[in-house]
Amino acid sequence: MYSEIEGISVKANSDSAPAVNTIPFDAERHPIVEVRNLNAWYGAQHVISDVSMKFKRNHVTAIIGPSGCGKSTLVRCINRLHELVPSSKLTGNVMLDGVDIYGKQIDVVDVRRRIGMVFQKPNPFPNMSIRDNVIAGWKLAGVRDKKRLDEIAKNALQQAFLWDEVRDKLPNSGASISGGQQQRLCIARALAVEPEVILMDEPCSALDPTATAKIEELISKLSENYTVIIVTHNMQQASRVADFTAFMYLGKLIEYDETPRMFENPKEELTERYITGKFG
Amino acid sequence: MPRLMDMGLDQLNSLLLDMATLSQQAVSASIDAYSLGSKGAEVRQMSNRLRALHRQVSDLSVEMIARYQPVASDLRFLKACMEISYGFFRYGRYALDITSVLEMFGNLSSCDKKFVVDTAKKTQEMIRMSVEAFAKRDLETARNLPKMDDVVDESYRRNLRTTIEKKGGDIKCALSATLILRYLERIADHASYIGESIEYIATGIEPKLD
Repeated sequence: MYSEIEGISVKANSDSAPAVNTIPFDAERHPIVEVRNLNAWYGAQHVISDVSMKFKRNHVTAIIGPSGCGKSTLVRCINRLHELVPSSKLTGNVMLDGVDIYGKQIDVVDVRRRIGMVFQKPNPFPNMSIRDNVIAGWKLAGVRDKKRLDEIAKNALQQAFLWDEVRDKLPNSGASISGGQQQRLCIARALAVEPEVILMDEPCSALDPTATAKIEELISKLSENYTVIIVTHNMQQASRVADFTAFMYLGKLIEYDETPRMFENPKEELTERYITGKFG
Repeated sequence: MPRLMDMGLDQLNSLLLDMATLSQQAVSASIDAYSLGSKGAEVRQMSNRLRALHRQVSDLSVEMIARYQPVASDLRFLKACMEISYGFFRYGRYALDITSVLEMFGNLSSCDKKFVVDTAKKTQEMIRMSVEAFAKRDLETARNLPKMDDVVDESYRRNLRTTIEKKGGDIKCALSATLILRYLERIADHASYIGESIEYIATGIEPKLD
């Protein structure tokens, strides 16, 4: 099946057709996450079509593409959130450090701890204090040592560059701080459980430019210790924060390259037309 | 639907075409002044105008980068525009340098000008080709420019060798020819750079540095 956009055709949603993937050499080295021949469906709707790509350890990879291209679904497959949607289906493999996270012996809770997620809208637990938001995962796991929990909260809030702003109001509600602070609180919550990979799905779309800049600085800093995969429809944001950028269209990976090369000289005409705003 | 940025890109294209025409005229006027013995008084004005246009192109390019944060072919076009604009500005500046030589050396009617005029024709052809390659985004023409640059370079070097080895003769003729050939050689270099910029716009391939 082909879909036409202003004279350009891409093979879409075909199980048999190989994806038009170009794997940048540098992203192939030291991958932490590898997606192999991934296909995903919502009911009969085929939303990810034979995607294969590697995500380099301790680097930032941005996934861009028009609405409905499958970029959010792709990251939701990477930490097994996709399967929570009724009627969803998935084939292919997602490897974390060489182990298939969809394997039979795999503990899903552990997968989601190792691969954290930050969503589009800040979603702190409104009935919990700032401190308790950060340590919620640990409390759920049965840790009760107050001193240790305080240390975890402080460390995670420091990593999220939020500690100085909230250190005097830790007992206040997580919903009492600004939107940008709430998003950093959610990042702190993800960091508190010591993940290896952080998935971010449009983390700045509900934030003002100042809060966005803070999150972008944070992403850059986090990549020293974590692997960050960020979905964004803001191409300038991708070009600012990402080491690698992947362009998806109609469920397929169209192009994947080092960010400067992608934005200066994309190989695929479809990428060129999308990033220059000639369709989308 | 045209994008907001397209209006600015069209304006840049139009400015560069104006610069192309004006720089061609400036170089032709300076060569005519040398070969025919005229003054070439209009060249200074043209050179100044080219400088102003170059600034306009740079300002508009920077403004567009700041306002629209262009990527891919748009970004390459803007980057190349600044390079091409500088090339056209330099054509004008070397044309002015040629007329300055004429002012300094005075009457050169007794000099044998054939070698310089022949080299000037090749350089003018390169200018014409660079302008055409830009106007039509003609890669084949753009790719031929470096070969012609080699020919002009060799003419300059041959004259230099002959002048060094020459005993006697008119020093004024020899010096003026050497200086003018040097300016022609530099014009040819810029024509070649413009060709590379046109290739960069189309393919994204940066020229290899020697």
